[in-house]
Amino acid sequence: MQGYLTAVGTVGGIYALLALGLNLQYGFTGLINFGVVAFYAVGAYTSALLALRGVPFVLDFAAAAVLAALFAWPLGVMCLRLRDDYLAIVTLAFAEILRTVIVSEEWLTNGTRGIPGIPRPFSGLGAAAGGFAYLALVLAAMLAGVSLTVRLVGSPFGRLIQAIRDDEDAVRSVGKSPARCKLVVFMIGAGLTGLAGALYAHYLTYISPDQFVPLLTFYVWIAVIMGGAGRVGGAIAGAALLTLFLEGSRFLRDVLPFVSEVQMASLRLAAIGLMLILFTLYRPQGLLGRVAR
Amino acid sequence: MSAAVGLNLAVAGLIQGLLIALAGLAVSLCFAVARFPNAATGDFMTFAAYAGVAAQAWTGSLLAGAASAVLLTAGLAVASYVLVFRNFRGRSLVAPLIASIGLAFLLRSVLTFFVGFDQHSFHVPIARAIVFAGARVRPIDLWLAGTSAVTLLAVLAVLFLTPIGRRMRAVADNPELARASGIRARTVMLTLWTLIGACSAVGGVMLGLQTVVVPEMGWNLLLPAFAAAVLGGVGNPTGAVLAGIALGLVQALSTPLVGFTYQTAISFILLIATLVLRPQGLLGRAEPVR
Repeated sequence: MQGYLTAVGTVGGIYALLALGLNLQYGFTGLINFGVVAFYAVGAYTSALLALRGVPFVLDFAAAAVLAALFAWPLGVMCLRLRDDYLAIVTLAFAEILRTVIVSEEWLTNGTRGIPGIPRPFSGLGAAAGGFAYLALVLAAMLAGVSLTVRLVGSPFGRLIQAIRDDEDAVRSVGKSPARCKLVVFMIGAGLTGLAGALYAHYLTYISPDQFVPLLTFYVWIAVIMGGAGRVGGAIAGAALLTLFLEGSRFLRDVLPFVSEVQMASLRLAAIGLMLILFTLYRPQGLLGRVAR
Repeated sequence: MSAAVGLNLAVAGLIQGLLIALAGLAVSLCFAVARFPNAATGDFMTFAAYAGVAAQAWTGSLLAGAASAVLLTAGLAVASYVLVFRNFRGRSLVAPLIASIGLAFLLRSVLTFFVGFDQHSFHVPIARAIVFAGARVRPIDLWLAGTSAVTLLAVLAVLFLTPIGRRMRAVADNPELARASGIRARTVMLTLWTLIGACSAVGGVMLGLQTVVVPEMGWNLLLPAFAAAVLGGVGNPTGAVLAGIALGLVQALSTPLVGFTYQTAISFILLIATLVLRPQGLLGRAEPVR
């Protein structure tokens, strides 16, 4: 039981980190990133490949965040001076192409067979203590993400990006460059996402392309939307709700034995789809938010 | 690359291009009039293919199957407008965009819940390929190309030659002005979504006829469809059709160079190139700052 709770906490913490990254991009700045899973995959593969070549953990994690941010740079430069929806289309496309690259460039990624045997920090402490220590590491990363968001949002730069979200023309009229600010936020968010990917890869110790499907991007979206976009606590609350939902749907099968495992996957997808529609229609401010924008 | 191989690739590319053009036209119509990129377009196509297979099994006729697929999908598109997209009027494009992703997931999961993930296919009479100047063409491919081309022309004809098409273009140009001059938004939007549904349906059935019917088939065509819509100029349906056909040809003809795996990457690269060099698209006007 304790092992199960540790596992759920670790996965939930990783979702929270992803939600923090997207919340920074979408919630505070209004950037529509539909390629969360791509930056997550970049982080996971970077860290895994480096660790297998004997690079110390600290450098692996740092490289994962930096490389994910660097991948965001050209996409941001190209799209952020254009209409909002171009970023959505390009990031969605980028995620699809990246998965194709991961599948076919076997010399680097081992293709569909995936990468097994990724070392996990603290594994020397034994199963229970090691799992606990890893949970602590994930939660520490999450808290660092929270404090980064709080500081960023409270700073003059933070007020600027929220002004861009609310009225870009007004920001331009006072001589600020929205595209540059958006680019910075896009890269920071991608860095957080990459870090989450690294934590995921070292936790699972095995990664393969089919773990990085577009659906994952929208898990993070529903977490941010449920929790309330543009509020720091919202990302954490949303990630907790998401984890509860994903774990809960696993137990639901014990109650509904006539539903097969495959059908359960369909039901989970249906629930996510329906939630995306209903929240944008009726509660765009999230479950707990008050102000309608 | 010998001439015959090139010709075969060009034929395959043309058919693929007509399919992308159908999907791109559906995306572009929505972009132009409803003003958001509809990510559910691909799953409208998937729905149509499944509906067509089921109707063919029931009636025994391919034509009846295709016709009921078009009717059902047009109904689905109109229903999605009435139940979901209509309610976003006056809000930023993020809301309908996210809702369209939700709709895409919902449609696909309802399909897989009842039908499963097994592949299905239309029953097509087997016929010998026609050899024409070294290029082998299956008779079904001629039907596919012909039907797609007729559908594309029919939709463009509605848009440019009929009164309702003129009203639709007026709404696309300037919704406030259109309303002020007495154009009923209701009729225009219902017609628009009927066209979007019909266009996706023909695309879906054609795609299903060409290969097999699987749950991911439509979603996989979404990226080239978006690329065609952007390449043709956002909100320019004619441009989307031409860009779709061009994309199909470029993808097929580049196969000897990049291989089958990276075929879809071509549309991504062209999409990026368009955004960098000519964001308004090949035929589009510069987007005014709103």
